[in-house]
Amino acid sequence: MCGIVGYFRKVDSEGPIGEVMLRMITALGCRGPDSTGLALYGGKRRSGAVVRVKLADHTESSRQATAILNALAGMSEIRTSAVDDGVLRVELGNGAAATAVERAVLRSAPGSEVFSIGRRLDLVKRVGTAADLDASFHIRGFRGTHAIGHTRLATESKVDISHSQPFWAHGRPDLATVHNGHITNYVKLRDLYETRGHVFYTHNDSEIIPAYLGEQIDRGATLEQALHRSTADLDGTFSYLVATAEELGLAKDGFSAKPLLMAETDEAVVVATEEIAIVAACGRDVHAAELPAREVRVWSR
Amino acid sequence: MVAVASRLTVDCRGQSIREVNRAIREAVAAGERSIRVLYPEARHNLAVALLAPVEIEIEGSVGYYCGGMGDGPRITISGSAGWGLAECLMDGQVICRGSAGNGAAASIRGGRVVIHGNAAARAAISLKGGTVIIGGSTGYMSGFMMQKGTIVVCGDAAEGLGDSMYAGEIFVGGRIAGLGNDAVEQPMTAEDIVRLEDLLEEYALPGDARRFRKICTGGRLHNFNKHEFDMWRAAL
Repeated sequence: MCGIVGYFRKVDSEGPIGEVMLRMITALGCRGPDSTGLALYGGKRRSGAVVRVKLADHTESSRQATAILNALAGMSEIRTSAVDDGVLRVELGNGAAATAVERAVLRSAPGSEVFSIGRRLDLVKRVGTAADLDASFHIRGFRGTHAIGHTRLATESKVDISHSQPFWAHGRPDLATVHNGHITNYVKLRDLYETRGHVFYTHNDSEIIPAYLGEQIDRGATLEQALHRSTADLDGTFSYLVATAEELGLAKDGFSAKPLLMAETDEAVVVATEEIAIVAACGRDVHAAELPAREVRVWSR
Repeated sequence: MVAVASRLTVDCRGQSIREVNRAIREAVAAGERSIRVLYPEARHNLAVALLAPVEIEIEGSVGYYCGGMGDGPRITISGSAGWGLAECLMDGQVICRGSAGNGAAASIRGGRVVIHGNAAARAAISLKGGTVIIGGSTGYMSGFMMQKGTIVVCGDAAEGLGDSMYAGEIFVGGRIAGLGNDAVEQPMTAEDIVRLEDLLEEYALPGDARRFRKICTGGRLHNFNKHEFDMWRAAL
């Protein structure tokens, strides 16, 4: 099953995104009781970046966090840092390259995993429900412009924080995805990307999607072109959402095997696996409709 | 003495769907013939397996499988519906004022399902009787493997319409993006036009019955023929 949700404010001002997203993923909690996650986008582009790192070992986490902060201090001013539930959040003062930051983190703390780097993006996820997610990361008060979210029912790979969604496109700041479905040519694609140097951190087939989109965009495709190509290159069942600093996009497989509904208000575009989440976000008077097979949409500001 | 018709109201707020459905079934068993259901809030499995000619008016949107397995109820939904609307309906009527998700009216054996908005993919697949009327457009592979019955689409039909249909008729008022395997167009008869006019009028749906196109089975997949192997390979 799994549930995915997306919310994109049409006006370029911040709104109560954290609160709206919590309502939506709570509504889809029964579709994905294993884990919950959100990629939240703030309204102001930071001069630096927010980095989220899963520390390798809880007992060693403070030592690891110190090692990572020491390594990053050599690259950038560190504005703030905190550890919540074994996940380090660092706000860098200036924009070091994402690949260099990720490399420095992994060298200073072997076994850790970079969940996200973004100028607008902050990515939170954990095993458990939407209420658990808010208890750990205090996202209810988050104000921003858009977000995507996921509730997971694991079918193919294990239940832990690393295998939870959203997934970030390593090396590409701000690009994150949430996926409902199963990519059946995942092993083949993963082998291909690994020969090109891409590192995969999990055995979740959904991790292929940000890798695929990141590579298409690196080759010069727009997000919309990359989404269109994915409906032919990705095999299996999927409805997925992608967000960047300025955009929200979606793609659906050619059989419409997985649900995805859309609704639009004066204020926002809302997409979700079930109407129940759209009602939770916008109330009961909004017209929501299932999107057709092979649908691709992109909203940007 | 004038009898005042009682009308039961069921409020879904704060109740599980099992409790809501039990309240409806108990009211029907007690002889209630008109029930309003408030605040459905797109929740699943509402008003399923009702076996009496009861009027159910649902005010709002419903989730998956609303009205499924019914035999006789007359259900109206003022909002939209999720996947599997009225699945396996035996008899009765389900009217959705909004749009419906995938697999609307799948496998119904009788009765009528009317969707005033659009139907998504696989509407009316494996139809075994009854009539499915879609005021808007219908999605990918609608009418797939239908065995009997009638589908009316006032708007457009997406690709794969009527794929591998055994029998029955599909009428389309708008554009057809593509017919499925062994679905063929046949001329409209005078009886078809009269029947369509009556249906469109009954549900106040748009369209000129004379401009509809009729899709039926080509019959070539009814029996295996090794000389037509390529056609079978494409169909399977």
